Amino acid sequence: MADFGHEDRFARVSIVFSFIALGLGGLFGLVQLITRTPYMPKLVNEAGYYAVLTGHGVLMAIVWTAFFIMGFAAYLVPRELGVRLSPKLLWAALLLSVAGTAAAATVILAGKATVLYTFYAPLAAHAAFYLGAAVLIIGTWIFAAAIFKAYLEWRRANKDKEAPIATLGVLATLIIWLEATPPLAFMVLKDLVPMALAGKYVDPLETRTYFWYFGHPLVYFWLVPAVAFWYYAIPRILGVRLFSRSMAKVAYILFIVASTPVGLHHQFMDPGISGFAKFFHTVTTYMVATPSLLTAFNLIATMERAGRAAGGRGFLGWVWRLPWGNPVFAGSALSLILFGFGGIGGIINASYTLNYIVHNTMWIVGHFHLTVGTAVTLTFMAASYALVPSLFGRELASIRLARVQPYLWFVGMLIFSLALHLAGLYGVPRRVYDVMYGGAAPASWVAPLLVAAMGGIVFWSSGALFLLEMMATMLRARPGSQGVQLLPAVPESLGRKTVLDSLKLWVLIAVVLIAIGWSIPFYEIYSRGLSPVPPVGPDGVKLG
Amino acid sequence: MGDSHRLEYVWIGVVVAMLAGFTLILAYTSEAKGYGTPDSAVTCDVKKLEEQITPGVRQLGPGIYEVNLVGAQWSWNPNRIVLENPKKVIFRITSADVLHGFEIVGTSVNVMVMPGYIAEIEWMPPEGLEGDLLIVCNEYCGLAHHQMKATLTIVRG
Repeated sequence: MADFGHEDRFARVSIVFSFIALGLGGLFGLVQLITRTPYMPKLVNEAGYYAVLTGHGVLMAIVWTAFFIMGFAAYLVPRELGVRLSPKLLWAALLLSVAGTAAAATVILAGKATVLYTFYAPLAAHAAFYLGAAVLIIGTWIFAAAIFKAYLEWRRANKDKEAPIATLGVLATLIIWLEATPPLAFMVLKDLVPMALAGKYVDPLETRTYFWYFGHPLVYFWLVPAVAFWYYAIPRILGVRLFSRSMAKVAYILFIVASTPVGLHHQFMDPGISGFAKFFHTVTTYMVATPSLLTAFNLIATMERAGRAAGGRGFLGWVWRLPWGNPVFAGSALSLILFGFGGIGGIINASYTLNYIVHNTMWIVGHFHLTVGTAVTLTFMAASYALVPSLFGRELASIRLARVQPYLWFVGMLIFSLALHLAGLYGVPRRVYDVMYGGAAPASWVAPLLVAAMGGIVFWSSGALFLLEMMATMLRARPGSQGVQLLPAVPESLGRKTVLDSLKLWVLIAVVLIAIGWSIPFYEIYSRGLSPVPPVGPDGVKLG
Repeated sequence: MGDSHRLEYVWIGVVVAMLAGFTLILAYTSEAKGYGTPDSAVTCDVKKLEEQITPGVRQLGPGIYEVNLVGAQWSWNPNRIVLENPKKVIFRITSADVLHGFEIVGTSVNVMVMPGYIAEIEWMPPEGLEGDLLIVCNEYCGLAHHQMKATLTIVRG
């Protein structure tokens, strides 16, 4: 196998950085969980709680995911295409991403950016928070440039070939990211940085709409790499072909086309945006559920084929023939199961008649811990069991621990998430320090919150075990490459390029759909005339 | 392979039918049944709020009320609302500073409150609803966000 020296160095640094974010973000999550749960001790005061909440959101939603995805892509793409990545672009990307993250993290930890990961204006943070976020985003663009440059080089030499299925997923991920982030960066630099530095008045609806333009494709930026890993790993581990390559490609295309004009489903309860615009985004949200349903079908059919080939009989007998003791498989398959629940919840959230009941409640917290918190995070953990031994040239420190960890996460998350969905139906708001409102809250809130805390402690322990395993593997384990046994490197036989591989066409369609979907609310906002308001700090100090 | 293609098309058919069904149900419940979304397009000037909204309850007719509220870090004004035999309640809500979220716990009243905009929603309280209901702010609005609460009392008689 060719040597990918600087790609692997980049991947090692990026993945170690993502683990640091996961560890710190996880610690913040635990502090937050215990502090807000009735009958449990307040570990931090109010200012501490909301600072920790901001840190948890930013570290998990942006830093852990973005750095892991970059590391994964830098490892996978050059190997699949046999093309080197530009070292200059990689190191520039890493430098900017780390510098941006460090700037934002410093002010969050100093309590000067307690605005949560959604940073809705006119609630104002220190300027370093917004600038840090913008620099991190620019770093990820440079990373995307490195990958696309390599892809185009490969494409020139392989004009008629289809791309490997996982690399195609990485490309889809980066396309979605490039659809999602430029308008956000524009708004941050146009409005939020001047707001923080000079007290500029900003329109809360305009800035919030820019945020959600970005906020939902962000979800697919997390998810599509996990999907790509499932398509890569599950057939290889099971020793069968993916049930349908064309269905997998159609799923990627639908993610590219429909993931961005959907964000208004986070703004159903906002005044100032018409019912028509909201209905439009509901329909596109249903559309973007399609690729997830196709993916679930495709992977379960692949598993069934393998299970039956291994002698499984009857309606579900094949399930028991699958390699549940392989942590790469178990983590991926368990993620897929919880992703199913997350998908059902997502359809409910997207239906605005139902969203009335769950908007801004604990239901939403339960929901995204199934999606980004499990479908994505547990899959990345599963991927790490193969990736980290290979990158560091060491065996896994403890295969037994690795076998148990995904199940512990699965069980803990199932309890945590179901309890929080229930709490949401009872009306418990999210993001609250004293969730019982000094005794004014209904007594029915206590039980689901206590159950959620127990589930949370279980999956937190699983996360801690994962990080211990990773640390021990990197620092102490025997040289070797056990990752190869867990995830065999099977070369992919590539067919001819078809219309499904024509990324340009699908990007063009995506841009048209984005233009239609987002010009409706932005036309409403701008044609009415903006209503700018002065910035205010989270401590109540007026800044404008 | 022929068989697996047939299965693929069957599944795609199931998915499309399911999502089309959801779309039709949503269109029907929001248009015919009136479960729309808050979409008032009224802006206001935070510096001259008193000219545009007077916090408090106005009775517009028998059982029909207009409730005007202003959210500010970290309270609702008014923070005690009493309604007698309400049939229809119109809420007009805005914020004097940052984003807030107006939620009456245990009901379907849930709306974003933004400075510079007045949210207007209608609510038909269920006939059996009675007693004290907790109103919270469900959008993070600063360090004492969790202290932002109020009470709605519904009196039947």
